[in-house]
Amino acid sequence: MAEQPVSIHDPKANDSKEPNASPQQQKQMEQAYAQMKRKMAMQEIGRKIKHKIMVLSGKGGVGKSTVSTGLALSLAQQGHSVGILDIDITGPNVPKMMGLDGQRLHVEEGRIHPAQGHLGVKVISMAFLLEDEDTPVVWRGPIKLGAIQQFIGDVEWGELDYLVIDFPPGTSDEPLTVAQSLPDIDGMVIVTTPQDVALLDSRKSITFSESLKVPVLGVVENMSGYTIRGKTTSNSEVTIAGPGGKSHKASSDEDGNFSVTLDIFKEGGGKDTAEEFGVPFLGALPFDPGFVRGGDDGVHRIVSDPDGESAKAFSKVVDSIVEQISESPGEGLEIV
Amino acid sequence: MAKTLPELKRLERRDLDVLLSYDNEQNLVVTYDDIKHACPCAKCAPQRNDDESSKYLRREIEAMSPEKPKVKTVGKYALSFEWINGCSSGIYRFERIWALANKLDPDDGKSYVHGAW
Repeated sequence: MAEQPVSIHDPKANDSKEPNASPQQQKQMEQAYAQMKRKMAMQEIGRKIKHKIMVLSGKGGVGKSTVSTGLALSLAQQGHSVGILDIDITGPNVPKMMGLDGQRLHVEEGRIHPAQGHLGVKVISMAFLLEDEDTPVVWRGPIKLGAIQQFIGDVEWGELDYLVIDFPPGTSDEPLTVAQSLPDIDGMVIVTTPQDVALLDSRKSITFSESLKVPVLGVVENMSGYTIRGKTTSNSEVTIAGPGGKSHKASSDEDGNFSVTLDIFKEGGGKDTAEEFGVPFLGALPFDPGFVRGGDDGVHRIVSDPDGESAKAFSKVVDSIVEQISESPGEGLEIV
Repeated sequence: MAKTLPELKRLERRDLDVLLSYDNEQNLVVTYDDIKHACPCAKCAPQRNDDESSKYLRREIEAMSPEKPKVKTVGKYALSFEWINGCSSGIYRFERIWALANKLDPDDGKSYVHGAW
């Protein structure tokens, strides 16, 4: 049985004790009862949450938590009720990005109640359980497994349209545990950046999805391009020296405004990977320093600049995901 | 992996195989044994890495009683097969089905290692 990181006392559990049971037997019975309750709760959660989306990346540092929170906020912006489950146990960053730094979770009648971040998005994260943010979580597999099961089965999410689940990078056991514990997962979103190493690992994530039996909703390319804006004389041509000494030309408008997008890494890698594996390309998100500032300040870019380029890009990605989920699958294929 | 495939329009489950009708008027057949043997899940795929275990897997499959599976679409890019006997975990991309129907190696000659080809 998986070990539990959070002890939740349930008085009802004591009712099931045999009068003459040894302390060890009593403990085993309590654990079995808690496990059974959790399994039932997971089934119930599966019914109450309409759509569950896993967000993964093969490689670290591609902005997965930024994308997860962005997707959750963008969905909330569209009027959906949304929750975000931060499964990145060893590096939980979602609360900071959602302006919930230092918050504690509320436990009532044996159920964990999520914190509420921007736009009413409900958040559960290991960060809420840490004594201080500098303390590393050093857990072996069984404890991690227990924490994840507890985060799924013991949380009072209520009715949700979408639950976005943010994972640590790589193809480790966390996605496997979630895929086995949470029924009817709609699919996974693979986050990548346009560089060869990230793309190679994304390919692993895509084939990993087949092992988990969770469909890939699509690939999102993060940090796709950085747009420079400026002003010069009207209707003139500007040359910008981009990465790798590549020159980029831009034309200014009548007011002298110009913009040029520089591909900091490479161009179109995410799209190529998606095409190679026959999965949808959900869109590209721009390289936006505002995400870094927003993440540090606890005000996500989508909240601070809801009509900005990044928010629009997220909205497009969300539209593609919603289309993937809502459209009847395999339309046009007759199975007899 | 092929990038431009004809679109699968109809899948007919017959007693021992599926008849696949594509939008380019091609009708192709894949046996259930071939589908089972090409399961892309993490449990089955490594068994095809060497000839001996692959043959053993094949013999196991051929010893199973014949059955018509339930077939479902996965998103807009794959199929899943639900069997009473045999592994139902694999997600078969349409490219994989196409490769099987054309008697090509669905793994493209690659070994399966740690969750990926």
